[in-house]
Amino acid sequence: MSQAKLNKILLYSLVAVCALWLIIPFTMAILWSLVDPTKPWTADKLLPPVMSFYRWQYLWENSSLQQAMINSYTLAPTAAVLALVLATPTAFAFGRLSFPGKSVAQTLALLPLIVPGFVTAVFFTAFLFRLGFAHWRFGGIVLAHCVLFMPFAVRIMTVSFETVRQDHIDAARDLGASTCQRWKVAYLPALKPGVFASLLIVFIYSIEEFAVAFILGSPDFVTIPTLLFSQMGQDFVRPNAAVLSLILVVPNVFLMLGLEKLMRSANPALASGKG
Amino acid sequence: MIRKLMATAISLALGAGTASATDLNEMSWDEIVALAQEQGELTWYVWYLQDELRGAVSAFEEKYGITVTIPETTNSGQKDKLRAERDRETGDMDVFATSFNTASELDLSDFFYDLDELLPDTEGRAQEIGGISGEGYLFGFWGNQTGIAYDPAHVSVGDLPQSPEEFAAFWAANPGKMGFNYEKGGSGPSFITNTLRVLSDIDFYNPESSPEKIASLQGGIDFFNEHAANYVITASNADSITRISDAELWMAPAWEDHLAGLQKRGEARSDIAYYIPSMGMSGGGNGVAIPLNAPNAAAALVFVNWLTSAETQTALNVSFGTAPTHADADGSKALVPAEQRVYQTGWASKPFYSDMLAHFVEEVVLER
Amino acid sequence: MDWRKSAQVVLLLLPGLGLILAMIGSVLYIAVAQSFGYYNLTGESGFSVEFWESMLDRKIYNRSWRYSLYIGFFSAIISVALAYPLAIWLRRPFAGSDVIGALLKAPLLVHGLVAAFLFINVVSYNGIFNQFMQGIGLWDGPRRLQNDQNGFGVLILQVWKQMPFALLIMIGSVQAISDDVLDAARDLGAGAFTRFRRIIAPLSLSAMQAALVIIFMGAVADFSFQVIAGPTNRQSLAQLMVFFKENGQWNDAAVVGVTLMVLALLCAGLLALTARIIVYGRIR
Repeated sequence: MSQAKLNKILLYSLVAVCALWLIIPFTMAILWSLVDPTKPWTADKLLPPVMSFYRWQYLWENSSLQQAMINSYTLAPTAAVLALVLATPTAFAFGRLSFPGKSVAQTLALLPLIVPGFVTAVFFTAFLFRLGFAHWRFGGIVLAHCVLFMPFAVRIMTVSFETVRQDHIDAARDLGASTCQRWKVAYLPALKPGVFASLLIVFIYSIEEFAVAFILGSPDFVTIPTLLFSQMGQDFVRPNAAVLSLILVVPNVFLMLGLEKLMRSANPALASGKG
Repeated sequence: MIRKLMATAISLALGAGTASATDLNEMSWDEIVALAQEQGELTWYVWYLQDELRGAVSAFEEKYGITVTIPETTNSGQKDKLRAERDRETGDMDVFATSFNTASELDLSDFFYDLDELLPDTEGRAQEIGGISGEGYLFGFWGNQTGIAYDPAHVSVGDLPQSPEEFAAFWAANPGKMGFNYEKGGSGPSFITNTLRVLSDIDFYNPESSPEKIASLQGGIDFFNEHAANYVITASNADSITRISDAELWMAPAWEDHLAGLQKRGEARSDIAYYIPSMGMSGGGNGVAIPLNAPNAAAALVFVNWLTSAETQTALNVSFGTAPTHADADGSKALVPAEQRVYQTGWASKPFYSDMLAHFVEEVVLER
Repeated sequence: MDWRKSAQVVLLLLPGLGLILAMIGSVLYIAVAQSFGYYNLTGESGFSVEFWESMLDRKIYNRSWRYSLYIGFFSAIISVALAYPLAIWLRRPFAGSDVIGALLKAPLLVHGLVAAFLFINVVSYNGIFNQFMQGIGLWDGPRRLQNDQNGFGVLILQVWKQMPFALLIMIGSVQAISDDVLDAARDLGAGAFTRFRRIIAPLSLSAMQAALVIIFMGAVADFSFQVIAGPTNRQSLAQLMVFFKENGQWNDAAVVGVTLMVLALLCAGLLALTARIIVYGRIR
């Protein structure tokens, strides 16, 4: 059997498996989300007996979904910008300067990725309680997200700073450019993709983050992941959870596609930030 | 500029504290309602069925033009928050819900307004549930009962188990057809507690807990371990009911109001039936109170007055299957036949209750 | 390096690295201190090993760390074992390899909690999987698959979510192996397995180790998959820690938290070392 033929067979079988892997679960979720409250969907029926968008409307109006979206979508950009601003000087030092202990410092900057999320969440909360800082949950979560995901920003920006070419800087200086202008012409073009990439990565991680939002946000600061989690708890109602799951998947897909586009030129290890 | 900002901030901070307890005491009910409508909003901290309760309070919102916000909270989380916020001038919570059996964890007079003084009419409103008094601070709004949900297609009324021995016989005859949860909700723990209580001779309503007292639960622990192969552990209150509705289980402990609500909203089969075995199952209720640092105390007061009224209690009975906490309310939409209400028992007292459950988890659940 | 330059470096590092060290440092400090009886929110504080002593005796704790290691270990091994052949297959682009790449990476787009919901929905008692197995006549009646005792549900979810990560990390290093080397080996008569064993595995070892370590550390600390799809008679370490914290038992939570950190680091190191020994057949 030729390589091409083998590839084709493998391809079809894999596409089939992936379709089953993705299409069936989502189809089931869609069907469950359409179950009308007048009649439950029981095992003996292939399709829900009565279908409507009632639950979609009800949950949009009566769940904390809107609040959760507002919270998540203010948290994430704040954390992303803050992480970028705080990471940039460190990344500059890593990328443009040489100093003793640099490799140790670079390893230490990865610390937040090594400590398990829930350990950070629980004991960071304990720390905030001791500081008497427990009321401002939004600030606490922003700070935690910013630090937790800063390693990504530091790493991406370090690489960006490394790609700034010294001869561009020198040329700009020789042409009499001020510090400000030198940044504009020599640094900014090289840094731009890195800036976007680190903003987007921190944004996505912050939107997805569950542990800190769950522990520190308790009881009343709700984000998209914590809302979904509480919907799957003691009051779990399958059709409602289906609606929420579907609503939550959509923005993620667009965000990730954006990231993919940004990262296409960069290498995949960079995209994961853990290479 | 800065001075102006400071002045505004100070006046806001002072203004927030104006509707203090003494002020409300001096106001007539009409004045309180007027102030409430001026405040225009309130936040109710309640840890369960938030989506459904948001629908249920819309009647209040329409009647008074006051918006009710129900945040996403947890039971232990909102208690922690209440404690953490006690020293703040103005807190986040206007109305605070708690179950009566855990109300003793809080010193009510330290935290809440004395509603006896403030409500226009307390006649008929339940202030004592499951033998625990709300002392005028906590008013019942949600009477509930645990019991056993069953599938009448497989279990007939005459064969319903009434005692641990009869449950064991049912398990042996129908292995894997009854399940209960031990976490995420109190229905399973109620079954566990009452079984252990019947099979031991210690006082479950004495909060005192000691290694000796825990050790004397051994008879009940042996009972569960002996029959371990024949029953199932479920994941939560909701999981138990879902699995009966899916016809996987025939029987499981459940909250009466939880089951009724799910049936009402088409999320569980409406033919699932319910009873309280004569060995007893725990029941009680939840109450509401108004924290002393509530930002909208007047609105909270009007809300509590509405929530605990006979009309609202009748409406809650219809849509949630709760036991009304007002003497004049109509409770006819409950699942439990009235004659079985006598089998209600109270909840075991903490900290003994917590230690007993932890012991059960270590000795029974982890042995599976 | 003069003092001005040193000061400059320190100032540059302060907002980024400094903040990281301050926060993670205080988290670690509080966790360790609380596990030894300090920093009690209520009651007496002071050095004590009683929390460690009593915890080490508790069944729930000993079950819990074993279970977490089991989940972490198998998630990492299975994810990497699945990602390896896929990475090798996708090494050179061919018609449709883009589609496959996108499909394989799709789980990265789906939030873990959503994945958990989709999963329990499919394997529920009357779910589509049970219906299918009965439909083809393999099973007589529906079976209970949700919250299974062996944690297979959690493992499936972990692999579903983590395998794309492993693929992403490994595909780069597999692609970097030049065709010349592989062709030369083939000409010398090396079969597919030998080529993998002697060339691909050693040359992609560090990527494989990275994938193993990252997945292991994520899975060993799992909370949400375990709570939603895990067995009801086991608790993962993260779950147990949160349980103690909810009960206000901060010292017990700290003991579990420290255990989780130490085990995660230690076993991740062991896993990477073992992978190396297996590939090279020796330690160095």
